[in-house]
Amino acid sequence: MHIVDPASSSAAAAKTLAPRPVSLQGVTIALLDNSKPNASVLLERVGELLTARGGARAVRVWGKPGSSIGASVAVLEEIAAVARVALTASAD
Amino acid sequence: MVLGTDEFIPLAQAQVSARGLPSLPVVTVPHPIGGIPASLVAAKAEAIVERVLRALTENPDASRAAAGGAGPSMEAPGDIEEFQTWLMEQGWGDGLPAIPPTRERVARMLSGTRRRPDDIAAILVPRLGRASVEAIAANAVMAGARPEHFPVILAAVEAVADPAFNLQAIQTTTHPCSPLVIVNGPITQRLGIHAGGNVLGQGARANAVIGRALRLTLQNVGGARPGKEDRATHGHPGKYSYCMAENETASPWEPLSVERGFAAGESTVTVCGSEAPHNINDHASTTPANIVTTVASVMATVGSNNIYLGGEPLVVLGPEHAATAASSGWSKDDFRCQVWEQSAVPLASFAQENIARFATIFPGGFKDRPPGAVARIARDWRDIMVVVAGGAGKHSALIPTFGATRSVTRRITDEQNEGGR
Repeated sequence: MHIVDPASSSAAAAKTLAPRPVSLQGVTIALLDNSKPNASVLLERVGELLTARGGARAVRVWGKPGSSIGASVAVLEEIAAVARVALTASAD
Repeated sequence: MVLGTDEFIPLAQAQVSARGLPSLPVVTVPHPIGGIPASLVAAKAEAIVERVLRALTENPDASRAAAGGAGPSMEAPGDIEEFQTWLMEQGWGDGLPAIPPTRERVARMLSGTRRRPDDIAAILVPRLGRASVEAIAANAVMAGARPEHFPVILAAVEAVADPAFNLQAIQTTTHPCSPLVIVNGPITQRLGIHAGGNVLGQGARANAVIGRALRLTLQNVGGARPGKEDRATHGHPGKYSYCMAENETASPWEPLSVERGFAAGESTVTVCGSEAPHNINDHASTTPANIVTTVASVMATVGSNNIYLGGEPLVVLGPEHAATAASSGWSKDDFRCQVWEQSAVPLASFAQENIARFATIFPGGFKDRPPGAVARIARDWRDIMVVVAGGAGKHSALIPTFGATRSVTRRITDEQNEGGR
């Protein structure tokens, strides 16, 4: 029996990841807090440890309007301009 | 890169794939992060820092391709019972029997609209699935819908894709919510979309199949699979199907559609990101003020998303409560204004840790408030939604929402059906 695909195709366009730096030496790290409870604790502790062990120059934190709302384009552009690598969080 | 908890990995992976970056590294800690002491969270950070360091400094294997669709048609078991098992294995079922969306059946469904099969009605998150008219028709067939139901289903799919609805959150949140479809206008009579007794229960085919078709479209095209991208802690029974009509003939007030600027003869769908209904029992009140006291008391609770996220909690007034609420000349606005005013919870009733959390989310409501301050169940009295539905009896229903979502109303536009058949 032939059926019509109930999932259809995805409009996701394949993108290429930016090349990674060979080390974090002197790099600015962006943290994008998803605003869930304790996300900032996890992200900031990881940021501290990356600075201590990886030699990152600075860690800067950005936020979202709420945990269920995406980061603004302005925030994403600022992160791209300021930081070499970025970490964000997903979960409770 | 993305940090997450192990429980949320399917959602994180769906997200990076939908954004076209399937090889973006995801590093996990054991669930949960929230609701535990900060010292334990910091310890979880220490355990992953080496993996994070590698993920940030080593180029990932880019060979993982983004998941695409299997194509417009495919082979499925011809035996009706084997088909059910196969459908569940594909992740496309809801557990109830479904009708196979054969080419012939989908073509019949498409006769319910003048729109082209390849017309994209919406792009549905989190998967960024292309909700073509044909794909929606396939899900409508599976749900048991008939061609005359199809324009309502199409309008509902378009409505949930409106940015104001925040479909990404509705599809993936841990909160128990699902789009409630409220239909207004003459199409409710024509299709038999039920508005009377047991309106939110079983037994009306149009309600059952319209709500189910929307759910299957959201699950299959939108890619919100239960326990995977759909992270609901409990969910609720309305996630199978959640559709009602407003009981306009039993309402003392203007219908929801007219309140929102549509003409009385126009048919509309309104979608809300809704919890399950909760009963409001009042067998004694004979005045609007007393009905308000009962309704507002049921609404005013510290454990509600609406109290700190805002949004539009919905009161489904039973016709008898509505008649009482409209006596003495009260308008719908009078009613919702009084309900909002009385839906006040003293801040002293909240746990301190919640006050601290809510203060960061809604400072105006929870941060540094004076002694005796209260929180209300909506940010503004106009956010209290009121429709009239149901049959005889002294009950109404409260339907809270996810909070960070707005209801969306769309006209049902298909001329072929709107013109009568």
